[in-house]
This record gives sequence, structure tokens and C-alpha cells, in this order.
Amino acid sequence: MERYSCKKYEWVKVDKSKCDGCGACVEYCPRDVLRLDGQGYPYMAYRDDCWYCDVCTFMCQLDAIRLESVPYLIK
Amino acid sequence: MGFKQIDADVVVVGGGSAGTFAAIKAKNTNPQARVVVLDKGPIETSGAIGRGMDALNVVSVPGYGTPEDVVEALTKVSEGILDQECAYTLGADIYDRIKDLEEYTGREPGDLFPVDDNGNYKCNFLHPTNKALYLAMDGEEIKRALAREVRKLGCIVLDRTPAVRLFTTDGKVSGVFGFNIRTGDQYLINTPAVILTSGCVGKFGMPRDGYLSGIYEFPGNTGEGYALAYHAGAELINLECFQTNLLMKDFNGPSCGYVVIPRGGCGVNALGERYWSHGYWSGDMFLAVWREFAEGRGPIYLKLDHLPEETIKGLEKILWGTERTVRGQFHKQRDENYRRWDSVEQGLEEITLCSGHSMSGILVNKDTETTVPGLFAAGDCASVPHQYLPGAFVFGAIAGRVAAEYAAKNKAPGLDVDAYNLWKEVRAPLDLPEPGIPVELAEIKIRTRISQYLTPPKSDPLMQKMLWWVDRMRKEDLPQIKVCDFHDLIKATEVQSIIDCAEMAARASLFRTESRWGLSHYRLAYPKRDPNWDGKYVVVKKNMSTGEMEVSAKPVPEYKWDYPARLEYEYPEIKLDIGKGFVHPPNDSHDPWISGKVAEEGLDIPKRMSARQEG
Repeated sequence: MERYSCKKYEWVKVDKSKCDGCGACVEYCPRDVLRLDGQGYPYMAYRDDCWYCDVCTFMCQLDAIRLESVPYLIK
Repeated sequence: MGFKQIDADVVVVGGGSAGTFAAIKAKNTNPQARVVVLDKGPIETSGAIGRGMDALNVVSVPGYGTPEDVVEALTKVSEGILDQECAYTLGADIYDRIKDLEEYTGREPGDLFPVDDNGNYKCNFLHPTNKALYLAMDGEEIKRALAREVRKLGCIVLDRTPAVRLFTTDGKVSGVFGFNIRTGDQYLINTPAVILTSGCVGKFGMPRDGYLSGIYEFPGNTGEGYALAYHAGAELINLECFQTNLLMKDFNGPSCGYVVIPRGGCGVNALGERYWSHGYWSGDMFLAVWREFAEGRGPIYLKLDHLPEETIKGLEKILWGTERTVRGQFHKQRDENYRRWDSVEQGLEEITLCSGHSMSGILVNKDTETTVPGLFAAGDCASVPHQYLPGAFVFGAIAGRVAAEYAAKNKAPGLDVDAYNLWKEVRAPLDLPEPGIPVELAEIKIRTRISQYLTPPKSDPLMQKMLWWVDRMRKEDLPQIKVCDFHDLIKATEVQSIIDCAEMAARASLFRTESRWGLSHYRLAYPKRDPNWDGKYVVVKKNMSTGEMEVSAKPVPEYKWDYPARLEYEYPEIKLDIGKGFVHPPNDSHDPWISGKVAEEGLDIPKRMSARQEG
């Protein structure tokens, strides 16, 4: 098992079949949590700054990103 | 990464609800004015209502209330520690701001806000008064509409560029310095007028679930407004009145009592009994909650199951569709349902300093002027008790107008700043050799100490210990904070702001020798309200000569209206006689066995066993 795979735990999930990499979620995240990865898809670069506010879901015009869960410590 | 110098007429620090209104009204007042807005995030979604808002918690509108009614309510819930003129202004101006909101969003009366059969905005009861001063709102797009207006008017918007320094020259405001948290671009702005609208100290106490961002307030609000004002020499007040949030347990968002109670919901304890007469966030209600836990009747719940099905469905739409939309998902993941009486567990969570929901902040008058010329403040960082979102709109608008008028009459004072060395100082955590202290650990450390040493009921020795931690963290921890990028660099400033606010809160609390505002300033060494403290602020201010924090008392402005200045509650008589325990015979403090070992071996611990296999 890859050593760090368990640390990639994220609650914001991207549907890559819908995402066109426009970056709106990255631009409008109020806590600057998201970045685009090497393939142009958003990921939680600063996961623990997330306020689970759902702005990323709301600002996505393609319904490609969603808050799958509230953060683990809260769930 | 570059350095830019800007000349401005008005600088707005924080583009939230108050800040966007300030920028709009500054431009409306003087369209030629160069208005700059700085924000930690993008102004479309930043601040306390980035995802929308579901109510204006205090208004006066025709048919329901008058500005005097707002004065009456706020005099009562602040227990008389307020400037009644500010409360009156809040009531007098909110109707015009409601009209502004309908204009900016392009929505009609009856859509954004409910109207009754007479065509008046329809209000509900919430406050501990007989007046209906609560107006519901379906405001998911409010912030986008305000941001659009700001940009349309030609304000210079610096997104993701928080201000980290505020400058004065000869006691007057002269500029700010900020940097972009992605690119590191720096901005030195020379201006005669700065409006602080950077929100509350949301990141203050630590939530009990342990998640740093799992807090009631927007986690970008970390007290920079308080700290910038303090270091500029402004007076701050009511920092001893803590916001002791009653929240949806673990979710730590609003429950949301203010949406549910005006539709017939109520708070009950673990036995299903109503534990207090109202659900308004005044200190008496928090004290009642604390009592339920202290006497073994916690947890407490927000009860909805007795409401009609159509009301419950309506509440689900509002509660899960605006402000903190993940609420619905949170409930579903816990198999909770509003149709069961014990579905919304509540708890007293992290303490916060805030004006909107409480009373703490920068001292301002009804024109949003602070005690520093050229410095204005509005919203959650400016002390207008219990002003909520309406206060941000009303006083944000006033600040914009007044600051623009001030700027038209006053040139920006000269700004003598060594930008190179200033930036070197700000970015020191980036340049520090590894490993240093990760900024998250420093934040956990100060916030856990705040929770342990400042959470009410307040203990004098614990608050003194907090001051010891403040001093120690400033000397030992702050210089060792290490970050790896600009995104995290702002957190080093945030930790400094939190530490400054912790000191202000502890010193103010130790100065007010009484208890007041229920749990919010329940001080065990002085467990009763003292009439000698009626009508008196505790003021915190930096001595600009010595750099020391000074605390003093001063009277609130003379009352214009003679309304009751208290709520009907009493502090409990705490009797803690727990008996004598057991007293065993005394031991000899001289123990030749251990002193002999010290004499023989010194303080080193001998290695008696090896983990390696013998042979």
C-alpha cells in the first residue's frame, strides 16, 4: 500500500466525467482550499481549511463537484 | 511576485457584508473616489454570508416595529452597556438597506423578504420583547449581488489580499499593507481613510470536535480588524462579553434557532422539558443552558417535531438551502429527522469575540468613527451590540459615506514605510530555516489554551495563566512559526491576531469586577451583577508610547431612552461544600532512599537493560 494514500482523504469529490477544468470552484472557494492538479481537476490542496460551506458545489455550473460529506471529525 | 504602490481615497479592509456595502456607498457618495477593497477571499463568496443568509435578525419595519423598539430590545439584551444612538440608527436605516438589497438582487418584495396582507414586510417575534423585530429572508445570492455592484461601480478589488498592517502618521490613518495569498504580490496603499470590516474573532476558542475550521463563524475571520485597530491606537470595548455559542453540536453551525423559533420551535433539555423562557442569544439563555448541563439535564435539543408538516418542510428548504447548506447532509448522515423531538442536539461550543451576535469590538459612534481620525469600522468587528447582519448593512453603508466625505476633506498623510524591510518582517515565517513550528500547531496551541483558560464561568487564576501563555507564545512560539507558501503565510498573522485578542479578552475580563450578560461574563470571583458597573464600558487600548496594553472604564453615552437595562434572571448560589475527605498521618519529607540514589547516580537515568538480545 502506498504510504501516504490514507492522507489523501478528501470530502470534496470531483466527477471527472463532468468537470471541464474551468477552475470556478478554485476561484470562488472563500478559504482558498482548492487547486487544480496536473490533469486540470480540482483537489483539496488545503483540506483542513475547509469550512464545508458548499460554495464549490454551488458555483459549479456543470454539477461536477460536490461535498460528499462533512469533515470526518464532525460527521 | 511583485510590489505595487497605490494611492486611494478609501480603503475597505474586508469585503464581506459590511465591506461591500461600504464600498458601494463610498462610490455612490463620490463616484470619483478611488475605493479599494481588500479581502482574504473572493468578495463573491467570502465573509459570514458567502453561501447566503436566511434572515435579518433585527429590523424595524412599518407595521411591526419602530427604531425605538430596536433601542428597547438592544438596551435590554446588552444590559445597558451600549450607545443607544447606534441602536436607534440601526432601526432607522434598515428599511432603506432592505430596499437596496432588493435593488441589487433584482428581486421583488415578497420574494427576497416575506410581506403580509397589508403589503408590509412580515416580521416575527424573537427578541425578549413584545415587538416583532425578526425578518426572514431567502437570500442565497445576496453576496454575489453585492459583489457585482462593487465591481460595477469601479472599485478596485484585491481578492485574496488581506491587509496585515495599518499605518498612522501623527495619529491619523495613512495607509495599509497587504499581500496576495497565492502570488505573494504586495500592496502598499496610501490613503486618508480606512474602513475596517474584517469580521469577528471567529477562530478563537477551539471546537470540542477538534477540527480547526469546524467553527460557527467564517474561519477567515480571525480578529485582524481587532488587532489592526488596537495597534493603531483605537479603543476597543466589551471584550469581556464572550459569545458563548449555542450551536448544533459538532456541526457547529447555527441550529438554527433563529429560523426555527419564529416558526414555533423551542429548546428542550434531555428530559424533553423547556429549560428557558426564550431562545434569543442573550447571556441569560446561555446561562440557562450551562445550568442544564451542570445539573445533569444535558444534552439539550432544538425541538421541531410538534410543528405542522408543511412548516417542517419549509424549514428544511430554508435551513438546507442557505447559509450552511450542508446541514441537511449532516442530519442525514446521522439519521436525524426534524420529525423526532431529539434530532437537533445543541451544545455550548467554542467561545468567540463578535459584535453582531454579541457585543465585542472596536468602539464606534453612530457614524462608525473610531477614536483614531480616518479610521472607521463596521460589521462584526465594530461594537454595536447584537446588530447581526442588519448592522453590517446599515453601518457598512454609513462607513462608506462618512469615509468618502472624510477623504474629500483630508489628504492622505505622508506614508514613511520601508516596504522592503516590512515585507521581510511579514514573510519571516517563509524564510525561516526548516523545520520550525508548523503554523497549524501554533494555532491549535493558542486556541486550546483559550478554551481551557477563558471559557466561562471565568476563573481569575486561569485567566492570569492565559496571560502567561500569551507572553510565552509571543516570545517563544511566534518567532519559530514556519510556513512553506503564501497561502499559509497569512495564518502566521492570524495566530498573532488571535493571541492579541486573547490578551485583550483576558485583561478586560479581569478588569470588570462583577458578572454581567449571563454566562458571557460569569466571573466566579465576582459572581453577581454590581450596580456600580451599570452604564460603564471596559476599554482596552494600546499605549502608543510604551506599547503596553491599558485597560480602563468609561461611561457609555448618556441614555436618551429610559428602557429596562436588564433581563429577568439571577446568578446561581454555588455551594461547593464537599466535606473533608480523608486525612492520613503526615509523611516525612526527607526520604533517604531517593536522596541516596541521587547522591549515588546523580540525575542521569542509568541504562539497566538493553533491548538487544543477550549473547
